[in-house]
Amino acid sequence: MKTLFTVVLSGIISLGIAQTKISGKIMDAQGESIPGANISLEQTYDGASSDVEGKFQFTTTETGNKILVVTFVGHKGFKQNVELNGKPIFIEVKLEEEISQLEAVEITAGSFTASDASRRTVFKAIDIATTAGATADIAGALNTLPGTQKNGESGRLFVRGGDGNETRTFIDGNVVLDAYNPSAPNTPSRGRFLPFMFKGTSFSTGGYSAEYGQALSSALVLNSKDDGGGSRTDIGLLSVGGDVAHTQSWDRGSASAKVQYTNLQPYMGLISQRVDWKSAPVSIEASGALRQHVGKDGMFKVYGNFNNSNFALYEHSISDYNQKFLYDLKNNYRYLNSIYQSSLSEKWSMRSGLSYTYLQNDALVDQTNIVETQQGIHAKTVFDGSITDKFEIKSGAEIIQRNYSQDFNLNDGTSHSLAFSELIAASFVEADLYTSNNFVMRGGARMEYNNLINQFSVDPRASLAYKMGKKGQFSFAYGKFRQTAKNELVRVNHQLNPEKAEHFILSYQLVNNKRTFRAETYYKKYSSLVKYVQGDANVLDNSGDGFAKGFELFWRDNGTINNIDYWISYSYLDTKRNYLNYPYEAIPTFASKHNLSVVAKYFIQPIRSQLGVTYSITSGRPYNDPNSDKFNGGKTPTYSDLSFNWSYLPKPYLIIYFSCTNVLGRNNIFGYNYSTTPDTNGIYASRAITQAAPRFIFLGIFITLSKDKSMNQLPNL
Amino acid sequence: MKQCTITTILIVVLLVAIVKFSFANDNKYAETMQKNITTVYTAQTIEELQAVTNTFERIASAEKTKWEPYYYASFGYVMMATREKDGAKKDAYLDLAFTAVNKAKEIAPNESEVIALEGFNYMIRLTVDPGSRGPQYSGLSMASFGKAMALNPENPRALVFMAQMQYGTAQFFGSSTEEACATLAKSLEKFSTFKSDNPLAPAWGKAVAEGMKEQCK
Repeated sequence: MKTLFTVVLSGIISLGIAQTKISGKIMDAQGESIPGANISLEQTYDGASSDVEGKFQFTTTETGNKILVVTFVGHKGFKQNVELNGKPIFIEVKLEEEISQLEAVEITAGSFTASDASRRTVFKAIDIATTAGATADIAGALNTLPGTQKNGESGRLFVRGGDGNETRTFIDGNVVLDAYNPSAPNTPSRGRFLPFMFKGTSFSTGGYSAEYGQALSSALVLNSKDDGGGSRTDIGLLSVGGDVAHTQSWDRGSASAKVQYTNLQPYMGLISQRVDWKSAPVSIEASGALRQHVGKDGMFKVYGNFNNSNFALYEHSISDYNQKFLYDLKNNYRYLNSIYQSSLSEKWSMRSGLSYTYLQNDALVDQTNIVETQQGIHAKTVFDGSITDKFEIKSGAEIIQRNYSQDFNLNDGTSHSLAFSELIAASFVEADLYTSNNFVMRGGARMEYNNLINQFSVDPRASLAYKMGKKGQFSFAYGKFRQTAKNELVRVNHQLNPEKAEHFILSYQLVNNKRTFRAETYYKKYSSLVKYVQGDANVLDNSGDGFAKGFELFWRDNGTINNIDYWISYSYLDTKRNYLNYPYEAIPTFASKHNLSVVAKYFIQPIRSQLGVTYSITSGRPYNDPNSDKFNGGKTPTYSDLSFNWSYLPKPYLIIYFSCTNVLGRNNIFGYNYSTTPDTNGIYASRAITQAAPRFIFLGIFITLSKDKSMNQLPNL
Repeated sequence: MKQCTITTILIVVLLVAIVKFSFANDNKYAETMQKNITTVYTAQTIEELQAVTNTFERIASAEKTKWEPYYYASFGYVMMATREKDGAKKDAYLDLAFTAVNKAKEIAPNESEVIALEGFNYMIRLTVDPGSRGPQYSGLSMASFGKAMALNPENPRALVFMAQMQYGTAQFFGSSTEEACATLAKSLEKFSTFKSDNPLAPAWGKAVAEGMKEQCK
């Protein structure tokens, strides 16, 4: 009995005394020691941190089988069973690197992303709103980035030798048909969507993901915000109108509504315009958004935008100024976008979206009424899977249905109409494979079916990126892209094939703390471009082709000079195409060889102001002079523009914003229009295409009313 | 009889051992936490902070129902971020801090201290790149401090950081710092009277308030 007592007692005592010493070393895959790793016995407090040599040591009173866990930032966790019986344990652990968003190489060829979430972005969401000359227009700001060719009379994004319609806009993955407001002739149009709505912008100048189709040159992907940012009322008093918005936030969601009225009549009365207005542009717009978190990590968002705008002006004949005719335009636009996204499991997530666009241009041209109507529905579902941390897959399907019609109502009572209805069904799959944090490959394909031509197609996409050291990386991107020809062509011939482009892009990027350098070169091959058969605009085929090649440089620095942030971008473009009415291969009128932009922002704390300056210079663009034998043989003078803006925050809830484009008042010429018939001497009369006014001056006062008085409209950026 | 006594002793010893063992478990939590809380308050270098933060992470993984280990792990990471010079690394530490404070929030969603720390997280994140993060993160941090004050009006940490944000805003706009200083005075008062039933409750931040007193003179 005494023996039993001793045994039990000593057992109890030894329970307290039995100690196991665990020691070892933690290294990375290359055998370099890792300091600061956390070594622990699962479900216990016992453990240690590795020292500068990666070594650790601790003792534990635990006994039996336990699991030893090693964790360290940026590395995969390590687990091993250990038997604790008093015998010292020595263990050497090699931690495998984890593919992390923070460290991993990124495919940057052809793409500029702006987001606050990612610290590595070269371009920030706030940059779009604060770039001088852009007046808070997304395209205006992006036009200061490499890869764009400035077309001052258009305001749209012309990318790498591509026409403005080759850039497509997507909101939360859903396509937007006609993302620009109507504008008077030769006046830059503004985008319909304000930058404040979006938390992230990705502007791709080529080689983009298989998810995005129906874009030949560029994809502008905008991701809307998830949060309303607190209940408040925003009032904007603008030199060209005003707006009122209200946002109501609750625990897991928010709703906002905005009404905006714009009237350029008073402004144009003040500053003389080279346009003979009958009535200056007036527009009324209402928009609304609802955002609601659903379940654990689901998100539901709806956004709607309704816009009515109109203007009327007199166009004067080139050969005889006294001959004029009326051009009266009423534009009606509705856009609705909804998206639901959620995770399905630990590895899979999905998003499903639906967008609807309706737009109508009701124009009276001289005596003829031309009504152009387009309706489109885009439904899309995408599944994202992180199969392992080194293998990700994205796959989805979509349908884009468009109905287009153009009705001519002549004043003699006759009318005729051109219409088509197109259905595109597409699916895509794309996989990312990381071999390490330094190398990634992406491969994918996009399959499309088009009902108009009853054709299936497959377009491959591929890219890869390689990171050298901590700061520099190379990326390469390749892809085939297709896009249905412009409406005004398809309405003439429904059997036209889509226009095609093939992109090859090589890019190098170096990011060093607050400085970024990027160099990129590309080659783009166009095929199946629509062409007039023997110069007849009513007989079309796909025999056109072309190419674009060039290189681009980008430098951004906000670390060298205190409070100054600046970037410089330069693009060189060599492009020619033979399409539409071109008799032979020629440089298109929207292409300029050299484009340089310098953007600087300076924050002056004592006067609580940010000053911004943008200087852009663009070499001459070709124009066609019918008096010359050479097609597109003319060349406009160099374009240049110096713009300025000033944002001033006198009170926490008040922002005053002033901007002026073309401060120097330079008379830029974008090309020449010629009369359709020669005069008695056999000469075609010409008229320069110029800015409607040398400068555009804008003044806005933005007031925010909220319970928390420190709220202002800046967080909307 | 003797056998009976021995059995009784045995049972008693075993019982005591078991009772003591289970008490020891709770005591062990409080003791270990106490010791490491002192360490995290006094740690100077990133390495020291990493070691003690690792300890809190270990305790957190064993004590799945307690918010304090995650709270102090998050606090440790924020302190590491404040000592780091490289912006990207600062953000990496703040990401870890954010993960930890979110875990604490899952366990104790209405704990004023946790919400105040969340706000402190945003505040430090703001300082990494005030130019582009200012507007967004000042709003987020002030919202958190406001929520923390609503949950517990006695929380001096929520008050002192709110005072700092208010002071910064007032200074930026050249307006009166009266409101900020009133909040600071309230915070100082709460620091001297602050008592919690929880022996592991946070007790830091008084130095920040004392340091700010100069500005409000």
